[in-house]
Amino acid sequence: MNDRKTPPRATFVITAILAVVILIPSMLGFANKFYELILLCRGEVDGAFAITPVVNYLLASLGFFCLLCWAAFNGMFHDIEAPKRKMLETEWQLDSETAAQKR
Amino acid sequence: MSDDSTAKPRHEDLVDQRLVCWYFAAALTFLFISMLGGMLMALQLVRHNPFAGIEIFSPGRWRMIHTNAVAYGFLANGFLGCLHWAVPRLTLRPVLDRRLSVLIFIAWQAVVLATAGGLAFGQAQALEWGETPTWIDPVAQVGLLLVAINFMAPISKMSGPLYVTLWYFLAAFIWTFLTYAMGNFVPEYFVAGTSAGAVGGLFIHDLVGLFVTPLGWGLMYYFVPILLKKPIWSHGLSLVGFWGLAFFYPLQGIHHFLYTPIPMFLQYGAVISTIAVELVVTTVVINFFGTIWGSGSAVKHNLPIRWFYTGMVFYFLTCFQCALQVTMTFQALIHFTDWVVGHAHLVMFGVFSMWILGIMTYLFPLLIGRDWYSRKLCEWHFWLSAVGIFVMAGDLILGGLFQGWSWAALQPWDASVEVSFPFWFVRVFAGLAMFGGLLVFLYNIWMTWRGEEELAVDSATVPAPAS
Repeated sequence: MNDRKTPPRATFVITAILAVVILIPSMLGFANKFYELILLCRGEVDGAFAITPVVNYLLASLGFFCLLCWAAFNGMFHDIEAPKRKMLETEWQLDSETAAQKR
Repeated sequence: MSDDSTAKPRHEDLVDQRLVCWYFAAALTFLFISMLGGMLMALQLVRHNPFAGIEIFSPGRWRMIHTNAVAYGFLANGFLGCLHWAVPRLTLRPVLDRRLSVLIFIAWQAVVLATAGGLAFGQAQALEWGETPTWIDPVAQVGLLLVAINFMAPISKMSGPLYVTLWYFLAAFIWTFLTYAMGNFVPEYFVAGTSAGAVGGLFIHDLVGLFVTPLGWGLMYYFVPILLKKPIWSHGLSLVGFWGLAFFYPLQGIHHFLYTPIPMFLQYGAVISTIAVELVVTTVVINFFGTIWGSGSAVKHNLPIRWFYTGMVFYFLTCFQCALQVTMTFQALIHFTDWVVGHAHLVMFGVFSMWILGIMTYLFPLLIGRDWYSRKLCEWHFWLSAVGIFVMAGDLILGGLFQGWSWAALQPWDASVEVSFPFWFVRVFAGLAMFGGLLVFLYNIWMTWRGEEELAVDSATVPAPAS
């Protein structure tokens, strides 16, 4: 944890390229479809039917996207395998103490 | 998991075992009532209703009591009991307030009993899986808020990366509160017609995917490593499963209303997200089978593990079935048939009830402080339940296909009823097997509770420290 190194330049470049290639078209596509939905809602009865569940989904997903960002920026994914070992150690300590008391 | 600076608390300071016992007792009581309602409906279908003509025993009403008692009586109470064990041990902190826990317990039983009473006397709300009478909804909503506050308090004090179980639990507390509000208030007071139908579809499936699924998987990620005495295969993969569920699940409920006036782009969106969830489920199942790899004999000797992994196999099957049945072609055949009923039983009993019953099989000796009265009766409970649900689900799924083909061939309605009778008879006997399993379990608990033999310390599942 303490001796974390700066990722190599190649990793940074590949991540940036993938981000541009994947994220920008996705965001454009999403924005386009969302704009279509708004037009549909204004123009046709069918669109109004859709607005409630779509808004529900978007709000829920937005909330979890914020949570994902918060988790990433607060180190929740650093040393990602550590919690599984820590959990068992905690359990072992609790059970050992209980077993010792019974003896 | 927790601050190293805090003093190490003891189990008895963290877990209120009496409350866990109460929740399990309430859960099993409601499972008993629910199964009685299911049997009544099954008998009605084979024209042997023992209470014909008595309004409050009408199978139509008891069908709703059957589903609501399972969802809010058995599963909710079972999960709350498990949470009172798991959350304090994972966080090394007790829940916010034990008096609040007792208040929630009493209030929740009142909500479920009032729901059953309201349904029996004909006050059902016109919402599938949300038939709770409208006057109970605000009380239930407050109850869910208190549950979230009580359990999120210890979790919020954690520092450092969270174990995946706590991610699932956190999400479940938020999702359940929001899902209940969306399903019970939005269609009732704010939107109508097709839009209300779409929200109803989201509610039905979100109850499964955002209430019982995160709690169920969260508990599996907690209990399976403890019982196998080794960590989960990949914690990173488990987080992929969690975030996949968070982003793909919330839209898929609309697949309950394919071929309705809901706009087609929304129906297709639900189909695609349902198929995407199958990929997420595959990562979770791979993770659990990766964990048990090399310890396969545990399924034979360790009963809770057998309950858990049987439920996981059923879970994969039911999700795979879901990915197929939401396609428009498949849906045209099985819509409104008993296929859907078989699918629902496979999910609610074959998966989540089996997990809770497995946890009870593990925890009851620890809670009561005695070994099981009879290991053989535990085996009978498992096999009657597992074979019963396998036969019932298979029977109804097959029967649903026959019904669908009958309707597709434009045969008279009576013909589809006639073709269904053999399947409905088999369903009665499969239900009797599952009910018998429950009675065996209740008898075993009673005899264990009355017994005097103390639980041997060595038989407690004290896991070795993780390597």
